[in-house]
Amino acid sequence: MAQEKIRCLLAMLGTDVHSKGIRTLAQLLRDRGVEVVYLGEHNTADGVINALIAEDADVLGLSYSTATYLHYTHDLLDKMRKAGVADVPVMLGGLIHADDEPALREMGVKGIFGPGSGMDQIAAFLQDVTGKSLTGDASSST
Amino acid sequence: MNKPPVPEDVSRAADIKAHLEDVSVKLSRTATWSGIETKNSYGPADVEGMDYARDLGEPGEYPYTRGSFPEMYRSRMWTLRNIVGYGAPEDTREGIENALKLGTAGINIVLDTLSQEAVDPDHPAFSPDAGQEGCSLPTVRDLEVLLSGIDVTRTGVAWHTTMMIYPLVVAMAKKQGRDLSKLLGSHMPDHLQLRLSVGNEITVPTVLGHRTTVDCLEYSSRHTPRWSLGCPQAYNLRERGVPASGEIALGMAIVKLTLRDLAARGVGVDQVAPSMAWVSGSDIDFFEEVAKFRALRRIWARTMKEQFGSQDARSQRLRIACHTSGRALVYPQPLNNLARATVQTLAALLGGVQSLETCTYDEPICIPTEAARELATRTQQILANEVGAARTADPLGGSYYVESLTNQVEADALGLLDRIEAIGLIKAIEDGTIEGLMDDYNYQFKKEMDRGERIVVGVNKFIPKPEPSPKRFSFDPKGMVAHMERFRALKLERDQTLLKDKIGQLYRVARSGENAHPAMIDALIADASIGEVWGTVRVASGLSYDPFRVVESPFAYPEI
Amino acid sequence: MSAAADVRGAAQITAAISGGDLRSAARLITRIEAADEAAAPVLAQLYARGGSTPIVGLTGPPGAGKSTLVDQMLAQYRAAGERVAVLAVDPSSPFSGGAILGDRVRMGRHNTDPGVFIRSMAARGRLGGLALAAADALTVLDAMGWDRILIETVGVGQNEIEILRHADTVIIVQTPAGGDAVQAVKAGILEVGDLFVVNKADTAGADRTVAALREAVEFRTHALGAEAWQPPVLKTEAAGGVGIRELLQAIDAHHQHFRDHPKQFAARRRSQARARLVECMAAALRARRGDDEQHDIFDDTIDDVVARRCDPQTAAKRLVDSMS
Repeated sequence: MAQEKIRCLLAMLGTDVHSKGIRTLAQLLRDRGVEVVYLGEHNTADGVINALIAEDADVLGLSYSTATYLHYTHDLLDKMRKAGVADVPVMLGGLIHADDEPALREMGVKGIFGPGSGMDQIAAFLQDVTGKSLTGDASSST
Repeated sequence: MNKPPVPEDVSRAADIKAHLEDVSVKLSRTATWSGIETKNSYGPADVEGMDYARDLGEPGEYPYTRGSFPEMYRSRMWTLRNIVGYGAPEDTREGIENALKLGTAGINIVLDTLSQEAVDPDHPAFSPDAGQEGCSLPTVRDLEVLLSGIDVTRTGVAWHTTMMIYPLVVAMAKKQGRDLSKLLGSHMPDHLQLRLSVGNEITVPTVLGHRTTVDCLEYSSRHTPRWSLGCPQAYNLRERGVPASGEIALGMAIVKLTLRDLAARGVGVDQVAPSMAWVSGSDIDFFEEVAKFRALRRIWARTMKEQFGSQDARSQRLRIACHTSGRALVYPQPLNNLARATVQTLAALLGGVQSLETCTYDEPICIPTEAARELATRTQQILANEVGAARTADPLGGSYYVESLTNQVEADALGLLDRIEAIGLIKAIEDGTIEGLMDDYNYQFKKEMDRGERIVVGVNKFIPKPEPSPKRFSFDPKGMVAHMERFRALKLERDQTLLKDKIGQLYRVARSGENAHPAMIDALIADASIGEVWGTVRVASGLSYDPFRVVESPFAYPEI
Repeated sequence: MSAAADVRGAAQITAAISGGDLRSAARLITRIEAADEAAAPVLAQLYARGGSTPIVGLTGPPGAGKSTLVDQMLAQYRAAGERVAVLAVDPSSPFSGGAILGDRVRMGRHNTDPGVFIRSMAARGRLGGLALAAADALTVLDAMGWDRILIETVGVGQNEIEILRHADTVIIVQTPAGGDAVQAVKAGILEVGDLFVVNKADTAGADRTVAALREAVEFRTHALGAEAWQPPVLKTEAAGGVGIRELLQAIDAHHQHFRDHPKQFAARRRSQARARLVECMAAALRARRGDDEQHDIFDDTIDDVVARRCDPQTAAKRLVDSMS
């Protein structure tokens, strides 16, 4: 019997250290049955891509709280194309300014979860892009 | 008298009902923001056993619960701070001059994330971050540009950063031939806080970080007695995710370990504690924050006197440097943040802090814009001049509720402090115990928001219609381009023989386990960059030169 | 799909994996984790080619510093030019089935190194199936041509011991913090350890822990005779890189011991094969539905034995027959 799980790689690029959001997201995704591979802060695009390949993640999630996200995301997606892994959907969270959303979508970002986004939206996105289903929030039993 | 609605009106009536519910003001929570359960009202029974002289004291008297100074704001107003930092040193200099025009007191500077982590701006992986969230300040030469014409023994600069800034400032002062005993200014030398708020062992190794804090405090107490030490930097710990009591517990754990290690080097509590100030936050729960400041002063005073044998009142009366919480401010409807920041600011003043920065309303959106900065300044001026927040010391003292809450925050803080010390602070950091506490706090916080047990206006209730995004701060990147060119040129033009000599000495000293600060300062005077100096200290401690293993050390280190 | 097409498809994937296609290998491991039978023909081909890469297993309680130790071992192997793969196994949440796999955080500096391949695996609460999935993942890594494979698991329970049976050298990591050594003895993990490491050796009580472990190890190996491997007890400070060189030397010494004592090595390989066969047979039984379609046939048979509807010997025969 196959046990299909959504595997999601979570990482931060650059010197941004505000990791509390992505750490909480990791816990909330775990509660929904997601297998989160957590890379932490201070990653380079090359490092994230190598991890993405080895972990065979279904989705890549990045969190930003500094203004350089356009640069880092562009660079990452470019390198993902060169590495042949542009098929893995990328989602962004954190302090993403609404004005930048069109540019990010144009680059190829599939999901943008700025301030005020809820877990249900993120869960729906993950199920949509992976075609795999999630269990409900199981944290109430913890 | 209302008639029952006719069928076609039912849906409209339901709309109105929903609308009324949505706009109503109601009690959504009976626990404090940190989670302390409260009662409907408080009375004498809730403060039974409290002894005025023993537990409160007059303002300016031990245990300083009611304030650190007898006259409080009548004798000395708090320092209104406005933190500036972006781009090249020239850009930040311009920002400082604008802030001074608005009425900010003194110069308050924040560095970019690279400088905060002692990484050079030309780092191949992270260069785009240079100058983005603060000023890029990799060398003494840059500091000279930033503070051109300013005498650091006459004008104090408050540095809102931990790593490398103190050796940089001392290096510049020595280079200029200034008298170090008169050096003014402050910084936040708490590396354990940085380890916890940055959240990884890679950039700030626990043991090396703590040793550097102790080195810095020892050097400062011996050479720059007028320099202020923002230690603990509990603001970042609170923002990372702990309750009000947790801010006190973690900060005290850091302070106590640091003081014990300083004592082992022959630096007594009364030689260093008078220079220390607590860097604190002010979150959104008004009464709880007031209680926190009061409990904090009492715990500090008793700890210094009873556990460290302090004889000097200046060690026992705590000075608090407060920044209102940025975490409490939200992205949707950002102007609401003005209301939040005003309440936080008032709590800090009624709690008796010595310096205060009010977060700008656009904090969740971008680097503060000039307009938002001005509103933050005006907020404090309105509270000081119109509201009367400064008139009377500890105006909430004696309130059954506030005294009871003060006792509760104190008891919770001491309980957690005991638990941390039973494990050992260093071990509790290294094995993830403390990060686990913080992660759990944030996780529960989010769960409560998802369940509607904790309402944040505009985020999980009273959600506004989509609106145009507020204006973002921006600055001309040409200053950064010139700054980077200057940095690369300096690396080529400096006296390479002198540099190698000083780096070699630094390596030897750091290897020996002696205080590395004098050698760090000498290397900086010889135009070493912060990345080179810290990288050398790292190598001497058995770590990689570059925390991210991208850059190799350009130096050959002596065999020892 | 016909059997022949299966074999052709398997051959293609096998060739890709042996040829260094990381993504094909990573995807195959995902199929293994999902207990997807489609992985079987590829695994059959990969298994035939494997067996030459030394596999080192590490386990120990949470917070013992295993990931940091692995990070330092990677650094030294890389400095010596060796290419290394890591399989990091973490527990799943028993409530949601999700997991946070965070071992890579401590090994982050190797993310950009093409000479290092790190794969995280969640335990997924499988009864016995975890060891099987881990073993199959090791088969994939083995076929990829790495110079060494490390497998890291958390804890000292039965699941971990079963996984570690697939390693040629088993390292048990402990910290000086009270009672771990005694715990290890109790958990029966002493029997599977080829090397013992007391990490965080700079903290109080390290020497006492080392002494306690040495005594326990010597007591056990004494009975095994002079030819038997004597598991060393080493001290490390993984965070500062202290003692890592000695640890790698001890691993090499263990390999050398096997080269010098081919009979012992053959016995180790036999016990690995035996353990794996038993796991495969159990998995095959679990894959079969009982009469009610609710439980697997193994569970149903256990019920029968408990209720004394059937005796154990007859039940075993019934199970074996059902597999034919």
